[in-house]
Amino acid sequence: MALKSLSRASFFEMTAPISAAGSYANDLQRFWALRLHSKDELIEAGRDLARLDASYALSVQQNGELQAEVERLQALLKMPPLEHFRFEHARVAQRDFSGWWQRMIIRKGSDYGIPVGAPVVYSGGVVGRVSEVHAYTSVVQLTSDPGLRIAAVVDGDTRPISFQGALNQVFGAPRGAIEFVPLDVYASASVPKRLATSGLGGVYPPGLTIGRITHVESSEDGLFKRGEVELDPRLGELTEVTVLVPLDPSS
Amino acid sequence: MRGAVVLFLSVYLLRALVAEVNSALSGAHVWIFAGGLFLAYASLMATFRQGLAVAVLAGLLCDALAPVGFGTHAALFAVAHSLVYHFRERLQREETGVRVAVALLVNIGLFAALSFARIRVLPAVAAAWPRLLSDLLISEGAIVLVAPWFFALQASTLELARAPTERSL
Repeated sequence: MALKSLSRASFFEMTAPISAAGSYANDLQRFWALRLHSKDELIEAGRDLARLDASYALSVQQNGELQAEVERLQALLKMPPLEHFRFEHARVAQRDFSGWWQRMIIRKGSDYGIPVGAPVVYSGGVVGRVSEVHAYTSVVQLTSDPGLRIAAVVDGDTRPISFQGALNQVFGAPRGAIEFVPLDVYASASVPKRLATSGLGGVYPPGLTIGRITHVESSEDGLFKRGEVELDPRLGELTEVTVLVPLDPSS
Repeated sequence: MRGAVVLFLSVYLLRALVAEVNSALSGAHVWIFAGGLFLAYASLMATFRQGLAVAVLAGLLCDALAPVGFGTHAALFAVAHSLVYHFRERLQREETGVRVAVALLVNIGLFAALSFARIRVLPAVAAAWPRLLSDLLISEGAIVLVAPWFFALQASTLELARAPTERSL
């Protein structure tokens, strides 16, 4: 078994420099493309960024106050503390979207303390979880991968349902499937509902967007419903993601 | 053994190129599988041992990057190599067209075998086949385009490295 793992790791590391080199070449290409922008465009972009920065600074203050209030309430109610994470931003080196699996390789591995199983997010919500960690790279299993299951909740509801990555047809948006949906939950393509992480299972923090429920129907046994989830189309084009590294290694 | 190393290095290069193309096409959910192309030339032109070494190493390379049991690709590639080697004397294997046809057929066989191995993981089996078929069709198209260049590259690198295959001995 150890020999098998060693061989697998060795063959993976053989390919890692090529994947990383391709990614660095893309970054360089983007850098020189940006260098072609005029000074006026850069000044305009800087002004926009300054505005965004100001609004984010305000949000950080509000977030700090809310965090302090949560901690006060936790202490008052003697609740176990919420899990805390360190944000590790990583560039995407390669994406692999076959009909059998959907994964991506990121340019950070055990050298940045990335653990196996760590949740990976981006501005649109959940990307997936780290499934393999190597010396300088990690493999992320995406939410659209049929092998990934997440405990989820419908927006405004606390009852957990099961989300699984599903089939991703050519030129279509990535999709997922849900099971064990309560019978009183309704959603359609015209009135979709947001699906978010439940926080159960201990991998993903609660409230992160997974996708939009666009269809639900009764399951064969009639006890629950099942349905389809439309994931963010950007999932297949991501160039940068954030790994949530738990601060408490035991968790 | 030099021949096997040279052939494996060319397969390594092709796998890297295919991975880059797949990465670029990921937004459209298009995926290319070129397993048949990895081993067609080695199976047709090299000695049995050289070809087997290339097939197993190329398989292990694919296994390391895929969420399948380590050795799955290697075993499938080894079986495919043995079959092609067994039948190759009946083929006009110097012809590029024949080599491309072998690469296409082996690719279909390997893709089908991997699909059956992975199908239990998919949530809706019936709905999976259109995607798998479209991937296979696109892969076959890509192989038709790339195979002549790749076979020429393998022949040239073997010549440069002065590594004889069975045919040149």
